[in-house]
Amino acid sequence: MATTMMYIEVTVITIIIVVEAVLSAVARVFGRWSRTVYGASPLIVFVFLANFLFRISLPGHALSLQSIYESLQQAYRLIAFLASFSIFFLTTTPEELGMALTKMRVPYMYVFAFISAIRFTPILAEELQSIIDSQKSRGLELEKGNILTRLKRFIPILVPLMVNVLRRSYELAEAIEVKCFGAKKNRTYLRELKMKSKDWIALSLSIILFSLAIYFKYIYKINLP
Amino acid sequence: MIIFENVEYTYPNGFKALSSINLEIKDGELVALMGENGAGKTTLLKHLNGLLKPSSGRVIVNGVDTRHATVASLSRDVGIVFQNAEDMFFSPTVWEEISFALHNFGYQEEVIKKRVGWALKFMELEDYRDKSPFLLSGGEKKRLALAIVLAWSPKIVALDEPTVGQDVLQKEKMIQIIRQANQQGKTIIISSHDVEFIADLQPRIILMSKGKIIKDGYAEEVLTDLSLLKECRLIPPQMVSLTYELGFLGIKPHLGQPEDIALEIIRRLR
Repeated sequence: MATTMMYIEVTVITIIIVVEAVLSAVARVFGRWSRTVYGASPLIVFVFLANFLFRISLPGHALSLQSIYESLQQAYRLIAFLASFSIFFLTTTPEELGMALTKMRVPYMYVFAFISAIRFTPILAEELQSIIDSQKSRGLELEKGNILTRLKRFIPILVPLMVNVLRRSYELAEAIEVKCFGAKKNRTYLRELKMKSKDWIALSLSIILFSLAIYFKYIYKINLP
Repeated sequence: MIIFENVEYTYPNGFKALSSINLEIKDGELVALMGENGAGKTTLLKHLNGLLKPSSGRVIVNGVDTRHATVASLSRDVGIVFQNAEDMFFSPTVWEEISFALHNFGYQEEVIKKRVGWALKFMELEDYRDKSPFLLSGGEKKRLALAIVLAWSPKIVALDEPTVGQDVLQKEKMIQIIRQANQQGKTIIISSHDVEFIADLQPRIILMSKGKIIKDGYAEEVLTDLSLLKECRLIPPQMVSLTYELGFLGIKPHLGQPEDIALEIIRRLR
């Protein structure tokens, strides 16, 4: 992910995408990984168009192959960026992420808040859909009118959603309180992460590759297409 | 008139929720969709006003193919009361909550006043007209959700699990309201797995399992078929279980009032 942020060269981005494809195949999530990247295609097209329009609107910049190429580069980089995120969340559960953060001595209260936020996202999406269904059934048309009217029409969607979120958070607070959340400063865990040899290998490889990426970008400065 | 012709529906995640649905519901009918969780009841209801469009086949509501109509235009004829009433609420008062849909459908202010007033009276919510919908009790919220729909007087009213979280008195009130609306000529479609509630209403029952209709018949016929109910993970109504146990007295399993069954037992024992 960090390497993707440093480089814009097509060769490096292609290498990153190929490596990610191999990693996703090894992790047996290639199908879902490729579907996620494909699902983001409207966003990728939007980034390309936004970049292109911005570039040609700058003073002294005209419509040229160079501006198309640079906009394509930005959109291509986004693919690598989204693919990195996708592979991370497809192979790591919120609980595993929480365990890793706990191991890094992040206070459990914050870890719990973080895990809950991730875990509740699909539930909220489901609730949002049922609210939209309810309001559309009352004749609410979200697609009609100018931007201001459309924004106003989102009030009947946002108010019930906010109420649901608040109610759910109160219920969650009560549920964890009755389970003695925060009763002791140092809690124990059912499962704890332990570094094994393959973890050390993966970590070392990542550090070496990332160090090389920094070296070639800022110190040795090689020119890539 | 509602017609489902070979309707199939598959959700974007690949789950096939409806398959080979062929169904005809006449104007003014009282129909109950029954079946276990995930049988496809709510998915079927959402096809009535076009919230979901069939993956294949077609749904015709009052002569309109739902694939070619907007949800807003279909909703004038089909009012759906969803399971979670609170998903609807956003207005500061009960009055404004009911009038919201009427404004969307373009009614005149005078008509809106009359209709909201009628809905409040019909659902016995007059005392709460200036109260926040969020401060009502569970039963009152359900009644408000129904008032919201009845206010624009759709020809078809669909209720998704209307008895969830309701006590006995509230259920009785709900039965009374449903009967009244049905007598006024409205087509009522109820999705529920509350067998006692449905047994009291005695509607036409469409039994669903795994996205298919496995039985379409009247309450007396469907609710006394114990093997069919078991297949749909439904418990038979208490009166049916009682008459089934009384088989040794020559009493056939049937839906009946406790007083009638008591008299029948006395007659047989004599």
